[in-house]
Amino acid sequence: MRRSPLSRVLATVVHRVIILGFVLFAVFPFYWMAVTTFKQNSDLYVGATNTAHNPFIFNEPPTLDHLRILFGQTLYPTWLFNTLYIGVIVVSITLLLAVPAGYSLARLTGRWGERLSIGIFLTYLVPSTLLFIPFSRLVALLGLQNTTWSLVLIYPTFTVPFCTWLLMGFFKSLPKEVEESAMVDGCSRAGAIWRMVLPLSIPGILTVVIFALTLVIQEFVYSLTFISSVQRMTVSVGVPVALVRGDVYYWGSLMAACIITSVPIAIVYNIFLDRFIAGFTVGAIK
Amino acid sequence: MTSTKAKPLEGLRRSDRTLGMVMLAPALTYITLLVALPFLLALFLSLTNSSAGSLDFSFVGLENFRNVIGNPVFRRSLRNTFVFTLVSQVSVIVLGNILARALMKKFRGKTVARFLILMPWAAPISLATLGWLWIFDSTFSVINWLLKVIGVLGPGQWYYWLGDPTLAMVAIITVHVWRMLPFSTVILLAGLTSIPAEVHEAADIDGAGPIAKAFQVTLPMMLPILTVALLFGVVFTFTDMSVVYLLTRGGPFNSTHVLASLAFQDGVLGGDVGRGAAVAIFLLPVLLVLAVVMLRSSRRAEVQ
Amino acid sequence: METRRQFILKGAKVAVAGAVATATGPTILVKDARAAGQLKILQWSHFVPAYDKWFDPWAKEWGAKRGVDVTVDHVGFADVVPRATAEVAAQSGHDVHMFLGLASAFEEHVIDLSDVVSTLEKKYGKSVELARRSTYNPTTKKQFALSDMWVPDPGNYHKKVWTQIEIPNGPVTYEDLVKAAPLIKKVAPQMQIPIGIGLSQDIDSNMAVRNILWCHGGSIQDKDGNVVLNAPETLTALEYAKRLYSVGMTQAVLSWNAASNNQAFNAQETAYILNSISAYRTAQDNKLPVLEHYFFTPALKGPTGIMLASEHVMSGYVVWKFSKVQDVAKEFLVALVDASRDSMLASKLYNFPSFYGAAADPGTAMAKKAESGAAWIAKQCNNDPFGSMPADKLGLLAKSVPWSTNLGYPGYGNPAEGEIFDTYVLTDMFAKAATGALSPKDSMLEASTRAKEIFNKWRKKGMVPGGSKDR
Repeated sequence: MRRSPLSRVLATVVHRVIILGFVLFAVFPFYWMAVTTFKQNSDLYVGATNTAHNPFIFNEPPTLDHLRILFGQTLYPTWLFNTLYIGVIVVSITLLLAVPAGYSLARLTGRWGERLSIGIFLTYLVPSTLLFIPFSRLVALLGLQNTTWSLVLIYPTFTVPFCTWLLMGFFKSLPKEVEESAMVDGCSRAGAIWRMVLPLSIPGILTVVIFALTLVIQEFVYSLTFISSVQRMTVSVGVPVALVRGDVYYWGSLMAACIITSVPIAIVYNIFLDRFIAGFTVGAIK
Repeated sequence: MTSTKAKPLEGLRRSDRTLGMVMLAPALTYITLLVALPFLLALFLSLTNSSAGSLDFSFVGLENFRNVIGNPVFRRSLRNTFVFTLVSQVSVIVLGNILARALMKKFRGKTVARFLILMPWAAPISLATLGWLWIFDSTFSVINWLLKVIGVLGPGQWYYWLGDPTLAMVAIITVHVWRMLPFSTVILLAGLTSIPAEVHEAADIDGAGPIAKAFQVTLPMMLPILTVALLFGVVFTFTDMSVVYLLTRGGPFNSTHVLASLAFQDGVLGGDVGRGAAVAIFLLPVLLVLAVVMLRSSRRAEVQ
Repeated sequence: METRRQFILKGAKVAVAGAVATATGPTILVKDARAAGQLKILQWSHFVPAYDKWFDPWAKEWGAKRGVDVTVDHVGFADVVPRATAEVAAQSGHDVHMFLGLASAFEEHVIDLSDVVSTLEKKYGKSVELARRSTYNPTTKKQFALSDMWVPDPGNYHKKVWTQIEIPNGPVTYEDLVKAAPLIKKVAPQMQIPIGIGLSQDIDSNMAVRNILWCHGGSIQDKDGNVVLNAPETLTALEYAKRLYSVGMTQAVLSWNAASNNQAFNAQETAYILNSISAYRTAQDNKLPVLEHYFFTPALKGPTGIMLASEHVMSGYVVWKFSKVQDVAKEFLVALVDASRDSMLASKLYNFPSFYGAAADPGTAMAKKAESGAAWIAKQCNNDPFGSMPADKLGLLAKSVPWSTNLGYPGYGNPAEGEIFDTYVLTDMFAKAATGALSPKDSMLEASTRAKEIFNKWRKKGMVPGGSKDR
């Protein structure tokens, strides 16, 4: 069954239209944020009923005022740093807990490991609203209120379960011969894991790193309630707290913060995307 | 697969078992202390009249549950939770499939397209939703401006994205799909990539049309990864309150609440912790159903 | 016995903190040993940002003189309550917490501030009645909070448009709004929403629907704490809201957040909103075109002749029971009221002193203090130091006390009223009735059921009176 040139052109057109549609859907809010970032307020606050006023373009000269507010009058760079700092620590803790647990569940616990792994995964489902109150108490009991450490303590509750489960699948996918041959050569099990299994698991670990980092960046409820000093906040909370002042939204600065935060993260994700895909596929289905 | 030491699982060496316990212990301890115990405390609070989370309370038995079930706002939010989860996840899976297939082909600018499509995944939701809030704003909505200019909205016509219960639900689902789509697409892309080219060729030789091919070849092979994508999406969506809380705060007139956001409003904003916990507990039956699905799907993966 | 347990608990706490500290490095050691030399204050981010620029250094300076280290943290107004919940659950956090609606739901967790109030009364005379009714619980006889300021909630109208429809001084009664709406549509068809009164789940709407209810003779509770929402007056108010909605409003008002009515008014998309002057100050700051048409009216009159508006913000400073520096905190609150003049000016006349006497000219005799304070306030309003044109644009605010009242009117702002406020029971009722999602009667019954549930819960705790005459 040969396809005519016409139908091939048609197929290409349809394909491009689909791609374009999705790109527009994904990017439109960012475009809108970017425009808002540089618009003067008097250009911004024109009702949408005014069809003569095109909101997509600059009707008045662009301004850097909103960026000036974001960088000059808020602690935005500090919040970025805090987010990254918490992210790195939480990811490390997640790896320290989830990698051994994942391996253990995959190889060393036999039948009940399966059940246990599902139990662990299910704890990921417990809604944060339920845990909110007990956590407040725990954080205070440990004297961690209003410190970034409170978040470091709490955040692994939503990264560890899922990542353990993912890594378990990943380890299952590795042939058992990997460790066994090393053990025949006189390695202990632990040595075999360290020398043979871990190097092979880099894609899986990378997946977990990106995944955990995403969840940390997205979180805002705990961060909102456990951190009260502006200089210790994360981006998700600091930006709205500083720039939504009750009945005044600093739209330009808010949008700027969102876009400036997102772009570098998106770049990093893109770099590792293929490996992430590989790791996730293996980890998730096995 | 047989190796020299292949024995039944019970035959794990004792040292391996010990190592297994040691390796599992930290994660297990952490989860028990920080999820399981707090969870039990929360269940316990749902039977009390604790205000603002103080541990100074008295028991009220099932009164919280009785009040909650009788409350129309709760019943609405229960329904919304299912609508929200179902519609957004079906959309994500369908759109994700289309997009993943489109991205399988080679074309110019693919890297850029991929980067742009991935952007929503990188945006912190509390900030991204503010962007959407601005887009859906009743006075300044750029969508309405556009519709007006191209003539879809006549004089005096207007869409109140966050003011109409139905449109507000549409807006919430749109934002959620927007943020979930990149991730699901990536997962599905992984699934598609893992199907060997020979499978397609064999199907072509058998004379299968594109639709038959999709349903008889691709779909069955994609099933495990599809299950994972769906499961993850459902889990994530079902307990998520961020989009609702940030976009509509449950409005208009408490008509767009989902269980998680209602629990937050009653329990934390309203200070009635017992009631909030009671609302959130209604998520549990679904949690159990998901557990069964998981057990089954993981067994199937093992059989394969 | 008790002390022993506390001791063990403390020991465990130290041990755990120590263990965590060794595991993760030295920086973690938190200064839990909160010396008497430290006072932590949690504040909202003021709607007029200039206020924070005054308050933070002022508080620090006060602390320096007093020999304490003062820290001020700010949160968004919507996060004040969740933060309080978290701190109570944690039994630690700040010493002084500022609420901007009712702090009453937290009464069990705060100390009695009667002595602060009596000190201030001796100094300045009584506070305005609505402040007392928002911070004192007559059932438990507890002064659970201190109000240093409150904010009047006038109507904001677009003078040009209202002049075109021949009501140049703006509406006077609620009926005026219904009459004006179709006319506004005619003379200003570009305006999306002739009348911009919010019916959504936010603070402004919460105030607005109470105003409508009260002016039609209804209320949630009577003065003795009986729930009387299920009443013909409520129905009249709901019928009114339905009429107003059908002629003058759109679904937009169902989705509004605290910023929306300001934005709509400032974009000249509506001709009337209910708001404090923060929207106006924003318009000034940004030199928006609306400025020359921006004017104010007092609260509107209902068919009953009642003319009342809820305060827009009522500060309620509490001192937590868990605070270890309660005396310093109390001193601070006294000092804050002492600074009432500065506070009003720093907020660009947004804050009104709760103790008028605190704004009196220095050296005024006790008996004349309130009067002198009122005169000073009037002087500011009649000659706005922040560039109003004409200079007396805000003059009506000087006379706002008679038409301003507290949440919980005609009773006190008790915890049940607070919870009803925070969970939007009333805005819910109004929105459903106005849009026809439910009939006025059904929506009233639904809200009344919920209100009684909440009242009963608090009555069981002995913190809310009434019940015998619930309807």
